Amino acid sequence: MGARASLPLNGIPASPGIVVGAAHLLRWEVPEVPTRVIPDEAIPAELERLNAALRKAVERLQYVRERAERTAGAAESAIFDVQISVIQDEELAGRVRLMIGQGFTAERAFDTVMVESREHFARSANAMMRERVGDLTDVHIRVLSVLLGLPDYDPVDLPKGANAILITHDLTPSLTLQLDRECIAAIATDAGTRTSHVAILARSLGLPAVVGLLDATTRIETGDRVILDGTAGTLLVRPTTAELSQADARSRAEALQRAQLAKVAGAEAITADGVRLTLRANVDLPDEVGTAATSGADGVGLMRTEFLVVGRASMPTEDEQYESYSNVIRAFDGRPVVIRTFDVGGDKLPVGGYPHEPNPFLGWRAIRMCLDEPELFKTQLRALLRAAVHGDVRIMLPLVVSVDEVRQARFLLEESARELAARGIAHRADIPLGVMIETPAAVLTADALAAEVAFFSIGTNDLVQYTLAVDRGNASLASRFTPLHPAVLRLIRRTVRVGADHGLDVSVCGEMASEPIMAFALIGLGVRTLSVAPLSVPAVKQIIRGIHTSVAAEAVTRACDAGTPAAAEAVLRAALEQELSENP
Amino acid sequence: MVERLVTVRNSHGIHARPAAQIVKTTAKFTSHITITRDDLEVNAKSIMGVMMLAAECGAEIVLRADGVDETEALDALAAVIAAGFGEQ
Repeated sequence: MGARASLPLNGIPASPGIVVGAAHLLRWEVPEVPTRVIPDEAIPAELERLNAALRKAVERLQYVRERAERTAGAAESAIFDVQISVIQDEELAGRVRLMIGQGFTAERAFDTVMVESREHFARSANAMMRERVGDLTDVHIRVLSVLLGLPDYDPVDLPKGANAILITHDLTPSLTLQLDRECIAAIATDAGTRTSHVAILARSLGLPAVVGLLDATTRIETGDRVILDGTAGTLLVRPTTAELSQADARSRAEALQRAQLAKVAGAEAITADGVRLTLRANVDLPDEVGTAATSGADGVGLMRTEFLVVGRASMPTEDEQYESYSNVIRAFDGRPVVIRTFDVGGDKLPVGGYPHEPNPFLGWRAIRMCLDEPELFKTQLRALLRAAVHGDVRIMLPLVVSVDEVRQARFLLEESARELAARGIAHRADIPLGVMIETPAAVLTADALAAEVAFFSIGTNDLVQYTLAVDRGNASLASRFTPLHPAVLRLIRRTVRVGADHGLDVSVCGEMASEPIMAFALIGLGVRTLSVAPLSVPAVKQIIRGIHTSVAAEAVTRACDAGTPAAAEAVLRAALEQELSENP
Repeated sequence: MVERLVTVRNSHGIHARPAAQIVKTTAKFTSHITITRDDLEVNAKSIMGVMMLAAECGAEIVLRADGVDETEALDALAAVIAAGFGEQ
């Protein structure tokens, strides 16, 4: 082993931590099928081989479904029922048997029929049909893998305590449902960026992750020893003994640092010059609430509600949403909980009829979709109004570009309250309504918005994306996604000033706030409320306690006037390092 | 043979999960069962066929059953559709 040199792979750091473990390659793609013909006398045996494979695939899916039902709930696991029904479809199987009868192997016949079916669904003018292509692809892969005797890549096959590092191209919703923290210690993907779904999920689960590795799945074999460094964004395949002991040392140092940070969790978020900040936690998934509530955070600055709709088989009911929101609100026991209404496009909804769009980030999504689908939106608003009786709830609207969107949303909110009142259902009608400031349009009309809302929350990822015209999901553009670009800093500065003029709270709830240099810049720009991933709360608190607002303000003023993102970053980094060396 | 015209009531229409419920229901009967929407007729025991209907809320569909248990089959199928597949 020592004779072979290790293979370093560089990706994007997505979730911090160092893990040494065995790679588990999850190749969830349609395998190559060799074309072979069989003699007539082999046909009966080939038909039986097909039947056995279909039975085995169904058994496998039943197991996956039961497991998903326990971990994710009945509604989410229903998607596997659909896949089981497809495998048991006699018409589909009949077409495969017909081809086997003509002398094709079972895998060739099944592959041909599934390719035809997937194309038929994918080309349909009807979105309800196009949405099923993912399920058909899952079935295609699962049955072919059985027929070809390929290893079962399903993550659920790993024993508890396997400490595996999952290597995959990308995490699909049905794979995400099956992630088991008891056997998976870290995640690495070819696709993705720091802000993509897999990265956010990894951080919320506390799993170290590296994304954007481009071709890791072609360079690693299952069982390879791997060092994954989610802090640096690197993967070291088949490391040497020296590299292993280095990783061990760093891993121990990180554990020590975490223990020290845990002590900070209870301390107050006060800067070195005595300015008190409000530090809140972002909550993406229900299972994060516990971590968030004990992280030392003063409430939830951003509760995303997309988990309620993405990757599911049907829309959540009002009662189901009410339960979800109430759980978070109760866990925070009177501390503020800011809940953002659905921030997805129609193509992510488990409801048919919506087209896929060539340019979804500039498309029909978020508040636009909600206002055009008032029944869907009002179901969420009613659930929020009902849950609000359990604590301090605030509603936040995403992707607002104009004040009339706020007016329409408020009209629907009031209508929802009247409907609940008419039904005699307990609710709170006077919930503060705020907006996300994440487009240049919202920043430039912030004064008009301020007259109609209770608070602003700056979504840094989208503000950077829309200001710089850089797709945050595009790994090739990762180096051009520069949150410290002077244009972005100036827009934030302007928003903070308008908020102050109108007496509104201005917070920042993007991932940006969890990096020390970003937190330093934001505090310098006058932001006094930050919301970060629960696991980042102690580290940000430590940064806050080490800096002076006056120094940060002076540094960020110079950064705003810097000519380039690199110059702005250099100014801020120098000032921050100076601060931290003086206030360790 | 028996037939009946029904309207899809649940707000999301016959998407994936309702389609699975339909084939689970029809599988219990020996009769030949079909669903027709406009000029598309599909086997109600085939989920691929039922998904191809892409019947949204308000769509009118014709249920047909032919066989020894045709009446029971049609009643059972009409009942799951009328119940909105347990959705809203």
